[in-house]
Amino acid sequence: MLMPKKVKFRKQQRGRMTGKAWTGAELAFGDYGLKVMEPGWITDRQIEAGRVAMTRFVKRGGKIWVRVFPDKPVTKKPAETRMGKGKGAPDHWVAVVKPGRILFEMEGVPADQAREAMRLAAHKLALRTRFVGRQEGL
Amino acid sequence: MALQISVPAARRTGLGKEAAGRLRRAGQVPAVLYGGKKEAVALSIDPKALAAILRSETGHNTVFEVVMDGDGGEKSAVMIVDWQRDPVRGSLLHVDLKRISMDQRIRVKAPIRSQGDPVGVKVQGGVLDVVTREIELECLPDQIPDHIVVDVSELGIGQNLRVGDLKLAAGIRVVTAPDRVVAHVVSVREEVAPTPVEAAAAAAAPAEPEVAKKGKGEAAPAEEAPPAKEGKKKA
Repeated sequence: MLMPKKVKFRKQQRGRMTGKAWTGAELAFGDYGLKVMEPGWITDRQIEAGRVAMTRFVKRGGKIWVRVFPDKPVTKKPAETRMGKGKGAPDHWVAVVKPGRILFEMEGVPADQAREAMRLAAHKLALRTRFVGRQEGL
Repeated sequence: MALQISVPAARRTGLGKEAAGRLRRAGQVPAVLYGGKKEAVALSIDPKALAAILRSETGHNTVFEVVMDGDGGEKSAVMIVDWQRDPVRGSLLHVDLKRISMDQRIRVKAPIRSQGDPVGVKVQGGVLDVVTREIELECLPDQIPDHIVVDVSELGIGQNLRVGDLKLAAGIRVVTAPDRVVAHVVSVREEVAPTPVEAAAAAAAPAEPEVAKKGKGEAAPAEEAPPAKEGKKKA
C-alpha cells in the first residue's frame, strides 16, 4: 500500500475539506482521467484497488498515472475499548481530495477502453467521479 | 486588416470578487485587456463567444477583434493569453486578453499532434508517451500554426523525438529548448497477481513510517537530549 516513508508526526487531526481543488484539477500527463466530484478521503487500499483494476483491464495497452498520494494518517481505537485513554493507534492512510481533483490519468488506449477502465476504478471508490478527456475539457 | 471573429465587450466598473461574482451570475465573464503600450481595461464579455474561440481549431492562438461597448465602438485585435476555469463545472471564470499588433513578432504556445502508429507500439508492444503537448514559438500573428504535426511512426521502444527534430515553416523560431523530449515509446510491464509468499511479505512490511526527529543536527545529540515533556515538568 502507498504511504509516506518518513513523517514529522505519527497522528493528525481530521481537518476540513472546504472549497474546490484549484490545483491538480486538470490533466497533466495522459489523455483521459478520472475527476472526483465531491470532497472526501480516499484510502490507500482504494487507490491501490483502483490502480490494479485499471492495469488489469488495459493489460499491456496503456500507461497509468496516480495523481493522489495518501499522506494523512487515520487512527482507530481497538474494538470493545472504553472511550478516553488517548487517541488510538494509526490504522491506515488517506488522501484528502476536494471536488475537481484528478485521481488517475491514462494514455495509450482508445477512449472507450479508457472510459471502461476508469469506470472499474471508480467502483473501488466511495466518492462520485466523472470521466474526463482532453477533447471533452471544454 | 479585418478579422473574421468579432466579440462585443463592455467596460467593467465594479472590481473585486463581489462584483465579479455578480457578473458571473448575470451570465457574463470578467476579463482584462492589456498590452500594446496602452492602459489595461477591465471588461465583461459573453463566455459563450470566448468558449467557442477556445474550442476552435486555432484555440487560444486565435486572433480576433474586441468591439467595446461605448467609446465609439473602439476595436482592438486581441488574443487570449490566459484563462481560468471552474474545476468542477468547467465554466470560464476569468480571461486575459492581449492587444496584438499584426506586424510585431509574438511568443505563443502551439499544440503538438502526433501522427502515425509508432513501430514500438505496433510491433514491440510499447506505449507512446507524449511528454510535451505544447511548444513555445516566436512568429508574426498571421504565421501561428494551428498545430504542429509530429510523425512518430518510426519510433521504437526507448527512442524519442525532441523539439530540435521538429520541422517548422520559415519565419517561425522555436523558443522551447531543442533537447526537450516531445514523445517517446516506453515499455509497460503487465501487472502480475502477487504469489502467496509475496502477499505475506507485503503484509509483514512495517505498517508505520519513520518519524522524523526535531532539528537539523546529527542524530547522536538529538538522541541524548531529554524528551520535551520532562523539560517542562522541571521548569
